[in-house]
Amino acid sequence: MNAIRFQNVSKIYRRSHLGRVTETAGLAGLDLDIVKGEVFGLLGLNGSGKTTAIKLLMGLHHPTKGEVETLGRRASDVEVLARIGYAPEAAYLNKTLTGRENLRLFASLSGIPRAEIEERTADMLAKVGLGKAMDQRLSEYSKGMLQRASLGQALVHDPELVILDEPVTGLDPLAIKEVRALILWLRGKGRTVLFSSHDISEVERVCDRIGILSGGRLVKVMAQDEWRGKADALETAFTAAVVRTDGVGPIRME
Amino acid sequence: MRGRWLALASALFALALIAGARMRRLHEPRFPPLSELKAGPFAFQDAMLAAAGYRAPAADLAWIHLLQYAAGSLPEYADHPGHPYEHLATLSLRVTRLDPSFHRAVLFAAGILGWFHGIERPDEAAKLLHEGMRRTPEQPMYAIYLAALAYKKEGDTDRMIALLESSFDRPETPSTMKSILANLRQSRGEHREALVLWARILESDRDRSEHARARLKIAELRGLLAKPPAKKP
Amino acid sequence: MQTISAVFAYTFKEHLRHKAWLSAALFGLVLLGGAIIVSALGADERARLLLDLGLASIELIALVSVVFLTVHLILAEIESRAIYLILTHPVRRSDYLLGRFLGTLAAVALGMAAMAALHLILLSLYGWWEPLRYLAALGCMLGKISVMGALSLLLSLALTSEAAAMAFAVFLWMLGHFSAEMRFLADRSGSSFMKTALVAFSHAAPDFAHFNYRDFWHQAAPGGEWLMWAGVYALAYTAACLALSFQLFEQKEF
Repeated sequence: MNAIRFQNVSKIYRRSHLGRVTETAGLAGLDLDIVKGEVFGLLGLNGSGKTTAIKLLMGLHHPTKGEVETLGRRASDVEVLARIGYAPEAAYLNKTLTGRENLRLFASLSGIPRAEIEERTADMLAKVGLGKAMDQRLSEYSKGMLQRASLGQALVHDPELVILDEPVTGLDPLAIKEVRALILWLRGKGRTVLFSSHDISEVERVCDRIGILSGGRLVKVMAQDEWRGKADALETAFTAAVVRTDGVGPIRME
Repeated sequence: MRGRWLALASALFALALIAGARMRRLHEPRFPPLSELKAGPFAFQDAMLAAAGYRAPAADLAWIHLLQYAAGSLPEYADHPGHPYEHLATLSLRVTRLDPSFHRAVLFAAGILGWFHGIERPDEAAKLLHEGMRRTPEQPMYAIYLAALAYKKEGDTDRMIALLESSFDRPETPSTMKSILANLRQSRGEHREALVLWARILESDRDRSEHARARLKIAELRGLLAKPPAKKP
Repeated sequence: MQTISAVFAYTFKEHLRHKAWLSAALFGLVLLGGAIIVSALGADERARLLLDLGLASIELIALVSVVFLTVHLILAEIESRAIYLILTHPVRRSDYLLGRFLGTLAAVALGMAAMAALHLILLSLYGWWEPLRYLAALGCMLGKISVMGALSLLLSLALTSEAAAMAFAVFLWMLGHFSAEMRFLADRSGSSFMKTALVAFSHAAPDFAHFNYRDFWHQAAPGGEWLMWAGVYALAYTAACLALSFQLFEQKEF
């Protein structure tokens, strides 16, 4: 049973400036199935299409071509979002509200019954380590605390599918370890996890499968047994598969 | 489904048009068109306020200018020597062009022009009252003042005073006009009647601006009434 | 309904905690104080001046607040990307927009109510006490503010530039008070094209001139039936602008 399905999905960004229209391919003909219960990592360079793929899943973008399905429903179906948890690459939370108010808002938006909201909110804040800071405004939170609050909002409604966009970028080693433990805990509970990352070593440790994106195309899909126990197998595959599309050349210090 | 909001917006807009037409049929505010606002030092301020939907406050500010002018402290409208209050009518009409319901501006100016000691230009006052009447014919005070001016011209002061006093407690009557009337009584030696009028001014919340003067006048008139009438030699 | 009320609640709270709202409320109090001082110059029309200038101050503050807040309402959330987290929950975009709009309108209305209560107390001290007429005037002002808020929101989504949206909103405010003038000019115009254009404009722009109860109530004040139609007008116009905003917002990508 698939948790996520991309069927020949393309996304073209059109920009118009002074009457001149330029088109950029964010994704080109993506076909990918992610089965329920697996942890899938999307690897790729900047601009490879990882975030575009995630935005298509979350309904923030509409595909130019093809179909995107999550949990058996079209991604544009608002109702299915109640079963998905999403944490973007940075904590885009409302800083004027407290931690508790933020989580209460997202619990309410996710359709948690009113009677349960308070308990679920306090419980989740305690789980992400913000039990003592829950009544502080987010403008007073540190970056690490914000990241935890962002994870809290993604998980407060106990979703079946968790999508994390670059969850370890910019975190300290201790926090990275905690995120890793969280992903493994979610897998243990039978949840499906999709996360994007630049960090090959992180992906190596927790993923069942990975997909490598380059220039909006899925260039390689690998299962755990293809890299487990084989030193640098994933890194070698990654560097062989990706092509820089951002016009930046390699660093040479000769 | 993509066009459902567009269809709903069209239906709601049609409803707004119907409601707007009903509103206009039930009540049409009677403001003179902006083109009637005359050029002058305050024309830009008046036009901007009226265009932004603040006609009543614009008329209020024009009323303050009128009062300042009457008190001799509006440099934008200086009188030529020997022509006191030459801009009074212009400034009062400015108020009613902004808000025709501001009857008191015209009545105040007409009162000064018609009855103020040393001014007495009843023809100018009558012209002003006719203009006020043209704008709001349902306002009875213009007709009362016009009739009072007619009595004045005929020299029938008793009937003039009686007519003016009949409108003494109407809310449109300017405080200045009430003072003029009380002074008129006093100048005719009718101290008791003058005292009653000043007492009515003092009782009226609306005439607060005249209260200080009313107190002084009441004391003065009480003194006059307490004195025995001078014996003729 | 739960999602609309959740979005409403956080928007309302956000505005009340914003410095701009507090500054507007303080400035409103300063203007009311100014009205007391200016009205002292009005001699026997003191109560009228206090009434007019006070109501005009309340409307002006409400107008500036509602235009400023609604123009920023969505664009600021897009810029801060807080919108990502809201729309990746099971929230219909129309519900989100409606909750945001109503929350903003409620915050502005609260400010208006506080100023009006103080104003009414001051008026009663100067011998003016007609609370029903005052409420009718306040209701019409709220109607105008609601229409302006919906128009500003629509403009912000259509133009995506805050400065342009604010400039257009102010232009429409002026045009709305010109509706009677436009009909007057149309009557006198010799050109049938001009006549049609002026009549069309006078109908398309919100008819604030006929809605401006506080400005014309010194003349014969309209009765209950007029007030009912004025309410229908404000609601229908506001809802039409919101429906157009929903149309634009549903096609938007983030």
